[in-house]
Amino acid sequence: MPSPLDLADLPFLREALLELVLLAVTGGVLGAWIVLRQLAFFSHAAGSATFPGLVAADASGVTPIIAGIAIALGYAGAVQGTTERRGTPVRGEGTGREHGEATALLLVAALATGVILASDVFESGAVVDRLLFGTLLGLDTADVLLSAAVAALATAGALTLGRTWSAVGFDPDGARALGLSTARADLLLLALVAVAAVAAIPAVGALLVTAIYVLPAAAARMLTGSVRGLVACALALALAEGVAGLYLAYWLDVPAGPPVAVLGALVSLVIAAATRRSAA
Amino acid sequence: MSGAAVTVEQLAAGYGSVPVLAHVSLAAHPGQSVCVLGPNGGGKTTLFRVLLGELEPTSGRVELSGRPAYMAQTERTRLDFPVTALDVTLMGTLAAGRWWLPPRRAERHASAAALERVGLADAAGTRFGELSGGQRQRALLARALVQDAQVLLLDEPLSGVDPASATLIASVFDELRAEGRTLLVASHDVESARSFDLVICLNRRQVAFGAPTETLTRATLQATYGHELIVLEDSAATRAVTIQHHEHGH
Repeated sequence: MPSPLDLADLPFLREALLELVLLAVTGGVLGAWIVLRQLAFFSHAAGSATFPGLVAADASGVTPIIAGIAIALGYAGAVQGTTERRGTPVRGEGTGREHGEATALLLVAALATGVILASDVFESGAVVDRLLFGTLLGLDTADVLLSAAVAALATAGALTLGRTWSAVGFDPDGARALGLSTARADLLLLALVAVAAVAAIPAVGALLVTAIYVLPAAAARMLTGSVRGLVACALALALAEGVAGLYLAYWLDVPAGPPVAVLGALVSLVIAAATRRSAA
Repeated sequence: MSGAAVTVEQLAAGYGSVPVLAHVSLAAHPGQSVCVLGPNGGGKTTLFRVLLGELEPTSGRVELSGRPAYMAQTERTRLDFPVTALDVTLMGTLAAGRWWLPPRRAERHASAAALERVGLADAAGTRFGELSGGQRQRALLARALVQDAQVLLLDEPLSGVDPASATLIASVFDELRAEGRTLLVASHDVESARSFDLVICLNRRQVAFGAPTETLTRATLQATYGHELIVLEDSAATRAVTIQHHEHGH
């Protein structure tokens, strides 16, 4: 059993630790809004939707992060645009739930394209594994810088737009009547979630983005009754799960994504069982 | 605008190519209350959306004294959302346009005062979803009050509330009228419409507008509600009630 101090002593683990701490900050701040605005499916899909672009970028020598961000932002815009174009005279629209159909539609198209590109066009092989499940060894400074930038953006976004996101999530009709630009606020939230998903891909992989952005906040949602408490609790859980998951990954010699995801799921299940028991 | 707080002239509105409302004209002065009556799909919500600036009229003209405050129906809110009665009231301060900043001390005081006015000072820290139906309605009224608007649009504010809350809400409405504010209240309650200064009856067009004595006639109500209207007659009085499901859309 390796020493937990290796996380701080070994350079590649130190970089991975820093990466996971930065992702945990984003997971705490943004995860709260992902859960409150019912965007869990979107956050999962945004990571997966970049898959074809990342495969093509890797094979063509384009910087994958830039391609990923461009695709994720396009995906967010397309989901919001498709949702708006569905247009309906009925009031009460505006929460995350109605993004679901557009998210699923675009996700299926993106994944299918990615599979064709990876298997028949570029024959990507190991690259696909790295994109889907992440890696501790492949992280470079650009990955960490992107995560730091996203953590700063997410924090700034939550501080300036949190009241609007809260008003829209609570009562979309009332928020519009207050003169708030609800569609723009929603688009910014989707864009932030999409870019955050791309930032998490190098460490945890496209398929397990939800492990760091949704599971801690979903567990925290069961423990607290205020937005501020939710952010604080989600941040603490994301940090704990990230660090513990990284140690397990180092110990078991596996990519970091799966242990972080399994830990997140276990913590959520335990909290769900405990809160159900105390409510009974 | 001849001193009116709300003026609507020959308004027509719809969604895309689908017309929903036509030939609507009304004027309400400061201190007046207007009951907006009509069946589901009759155009009450569409009228409010036009007045709120959310929907462009296809023709006609609308003028208001400032930005109106809107009181939504509680059933449109998410009861699981982790906000307190005070948080909900503070949302009203977003109408001032400083959405990127935390609420100022003056806005917090105004919100606390609005909660006090609707009798919810003691429940300020209670989660919105844990309030009773009447208390929720009062919290949404507090959110409208904190906007300090000259015109208030209230979407079925007394629907499903307990008698104590209904009395309190009605007394706040009286105070608002005394302050010179103009109230437009969408309602399904034909009988309560008699207590308003003005009544407008809508059924995809304006059926009638005027004082209750002129508008709440059997013929007008039948034109407004059709077979959804039941008229109860006995030797002492005539009462009209409507039968309809609580659905909204137009």
